[in-house]
Amino acid sequence: MKAPISFEKEAQMPLIPLSVEDIRWNKTGSWRYMRPRYEDKTPPCNAACPVGVDIVGMMNLVARGELERASRLLRQENPLAGVCGRACFHPCESQCNRREFDEAVAINLVERFVADYGMGGITVKPKRKTGKKVAVVGSGPAGLSCAYFLAVMGHEVVIYEALPVPGGILRVGIPPYRLPKDVVEREIKAIEGIGVKIETNCRVGEDITLEDLRKRYDALFLSPGVHKAKDLGLAGEDSEGVLSALEFLKRVNMGEEVSLGERVLVIGGGNAAIDAARSALRLGAKEVRMVCLESRDEMPAFREEVEEAEEEGILIENGWGPRRFLTRRGRVSGVEFVRCLSVFDAEGRFSPSFDETKKHRVEAEGVIVAIGEEADPSLKEVMRGISWQGDAISVSPTGATSLEGVFAGGDIASPLHNIAQAIGSGKRGAVAIDCHLRGEEAREVLKRIRVGGDGAVSMIKYLHPEERERSPYVVTFSDLNPQYFEYAERVRKIKLLPFERKEGFEEVVFGIAEEMAMREAGRCFSCGVCNECGNCYLFCPDISVLRDKGRIARKIDYDYCKGCGICFVECPRYALTLEVEER
Amino acid sequence: MKKVLTGNQAVAYGVSLARVEVISAYPITPQTTIVEYLAELCADGVLEARFITVESEHSAMASLIGASAAGARTFTATSSHGLALMHEMLHWASGARLPIVMVNVNRALGPPWNIWSDQIDSLSQRDTGWIQLYCENNQEVLDTIIQAYRIAEEVSLPVMVVLDAFFLSHTSEPVEIPEERDVERFLPPYRPKFKLDVKDPHSFYLMTPPEYFQEYRYKIQKAMERAKEVIKEVDALYASNFGRGYGVIEPYLCEDAELILITTGTVTSTSREVIRAMREEGRAVGLLKIKMFRPFPSEELKEALGGVRKVAVIDRNLSPGVGGIFAQEIRAALSEDGAPPRLFGFVTGLGGRDITPELISQAIRYSLEREEPEGRVLWLGMRGEKEVIL
Repeated sequence: MKAPISFEKEAQMPLIPLSVEDIRWNKTGSWRYMRPRYEDKTPPCNAACPVGVDIVGMMNLVARGELERASRLLRQENPLAGVCGRACFHPCESQCNRREFDEAVAINLVERFVADYGMGGITVKPKRKTGKKVAVVGSGPAGLSCAYFLAVMGHEVVIYEALPVPGGILRVGIPPYRLPKDVVEREIKAIEGIGVKIETNCRVGEDITLEDLRKRYDALFLSPGVHKAKDLGLAGEDSEGVLSALEFLKRVNMGEEVSLGERVLVIGGGNAAIDAARSALRLGAKEVRMVCLESRDEMPAFREEVEEAEEEGILIENGWGPRRFLTRRGRVSGVEFVRCLSVFDAEGRFSPSFDETKKHRVEAEGVIVAIGEEADPSLKEVMRGISWQGDAISVSPTGATSLEGVFAGGDIASPLHNIAQAIGSGKRGAVAIDCHLRGEEAREVLKRIRVGGDGAVSMIKYLHPEERERSPYVVTFSDLNPQYFEYAERVRKIKLLPFERKEGFEEVVFGIAEEMAMREAGRCFSCGVCNECGNCYLFCPDISVLRDKGRIARKIDYDYCKGCGICFVECPRYALTLEVEER
Repeated sequence: MKKVLTGNQAVAYGVSLARVEVISAYPITPQTTIVEYLAELCADGVLEARFITVESEHSAMASLIGASAAGARTFTATSSHGLALMHEMLHWASGARLPIVMVNVNRALGPPWNIWSDQIDSLSQRDTGWIQLYCENNQEVLDTIIQAYRIAEEVSLPVMVVLDAFFLSHTSEPVEIPEERDVERFLPPYRPKFKLDVKDPHSFYLMTPPEYFQEYRYKIQKAMERAKEVIKEVDALYASNFGRGYGVIEPYLCEDAELILITTGTVTSTSREVIRAMREEGRAVGLLKIKMFRPFPSEELKEALGGVRKVAVIDRNLSPGVGGIFAQEIRAALSEDGAPPRLFGFVTGLGGRDITPELISQAIRYSLEREEPEGRVLWLGMRGEKEVIL
């Protein structure tokens, strides 16, 4: 530190007032009463993802063209990313903050691109072997996910699958025009690639007992799925030409020849009904008609699927409830419906009311009943000792069943039946089993590693605590500084033309090219997550934003930061926090 | 090489020859084509300068202040309301001692809305610490821009080169364009006396307390005083290199004149004809053109007007409540003399109205016929009036 300079006369003074010594002695940090700090927060997409995928992390990498890293990051949270990139209902997009600016980022399409990058060959290296053995029952999305992460954690895992092929609903439920078989097979192969063994044609209760498994393994994960179709309970429902959607889709997807005649009627308005109707069309039916209780807006099927079905020529009739099956010589010939006045009661419960006087007859050679599915009742016998809650296995918040060392997930343990939820429950199961095997309290661990505090399990948080932390606060649009964002059109989905789709089971939706994926990923606001845009650095009037080689790329020099808060205000994405300085 | 150029084209040629490195400007009639020509020259790579587009004249000047402080040779052009919007930054540029060169195309300020020639825009900026040089024709415009950089860089003050809207900006005249290598010899690359440099970091323009502030203003006044000599030297050097010089003031047929008419800008050319014709008629009248308005050529005027009985000033501007601004300044300069000449202050040509030879003759006759003016502000060429009115 030097003494202040003083000039005796004008002639000694420089042409302009300028500093001649540095003023680092003046630690302006002492003026501060507000304190900024770098703090990543939880993006809403991440919080909404039932799988817990680090979407923003992936988007930032894709935008920079670091596709291999993006793919690895995705696989760290989701071994079935190619499946989800096609068949997930993407709740992430409906929470995307960009919706309040122009349109949500097309996360689903980017995920598909990243998952397909390198033909799914990019995997995660498992940890050192622990010597512990875990059995998984059922190779659907929950079982595969649980097995994969247990293998990543170093455990030996065997999946027992009743069917001759692995994949569960992914393989025998979802038609290949939505989810091609090779995508499922590729991802299963990658899971096997890190050491997971899959025993097909092995049904628990027939080929092996639960007790045997409990004896031979250190822990069990039950994810058998729900495979019994609900029936209407109407006369004639068992006649020839009537099939459940579950059965129909399974037979079609297993490669069996199924013919339901020229006119096919599908009863139901959910996704399985749509899948069945569109599959029937592809098998050569001349006229496919869907009839359901719900009005168009109440239909549980995804809007996009409904639109695609209609584009293909499927007729949809809303507001009719089936009353009886019409038969001719033991074979179904049609169904008689009555007008449905309302589907739900005042409390929103399913309680349809009808006008029995308004009748409607639909003639058909084949009828598919698609009104939902439930757990196979024989499971309750097979899985003796396990508590049930109605139709589902009763589980604790960690996924533990009433039997020591036995955990459950997937459709069997949840009222929500979807792929993402199943994968998420598999992750939860893997963490709970890992804790169980190490004698740790899973409940506390899970609390720490859930996205946004109560979202899905983050395997990065669990397995890589050294990675950048994110506070559980979920960023909203009003937290952002949209001055820094430009309007940019969302990538458009490209699909097969309707007439092309009917010719077979070819995938309807096309993938996007690398440039499109990069551009789309560039639309991501990176809500709450520093992506090193450098705005804080540019704006800091005190040169107090410094580069950091640590986990967060920048740090604040508190010796000089006056706490003006410009960095906080100008951060486009709320990756800084400004707090009152405690003195 | 001789070319037929508009005043605005002459500006662009001058800027190109001066090898300007950073340009920032915002378009405004009648300056717009200057911006267009320069933007084209930059885009085509003819001029290796960075063209910074901005959202206002204030920002244009602000960006040049940054660029100039970083050691770049800079240029901008504006007019009228644009110059007014720049006002704050004009003080900044001179206080920061940056040799920025700007062209201002003289235009009236509204309302009433008007895009034509009037000197009020640049004269309103007389106290901002900028050197102001007024041009009579397109050749002088080109030559003055080249000179302006040498002057500015020598005295560390910004220079405003001023030309009349349309009478010069949009009027084509033959202009001699000097050779690049000759201009390079006359105007070497800018070597800043100080600049922002990451290798030698300093804080510039710090808060300066009352103990020191006055000294910095003293420095600017001294620089302005020195500028007067530098402008003369640079002009003389330019004349010896290129054969054209202008002087800070230019007397025309002033010998033994009983009355001297004082003008600026394009009115001078018209007045030359009128004075020549009157001399031929045997009248003892002369003409004096003022090119340099800041620093004000008080001594030069006193010397040139010594012994003259009458002075008539034509002002294409009005400072309401005072009258013509040139008349006011000349009056102040001459008042130091024991027996100052009688000053007839004419205001005319506002908002682009033509100042015809007839009007000029009328002003001269009025001044010759009277011992003293009937008022301090003599309105010439008023609508429907055949004579001067008060």
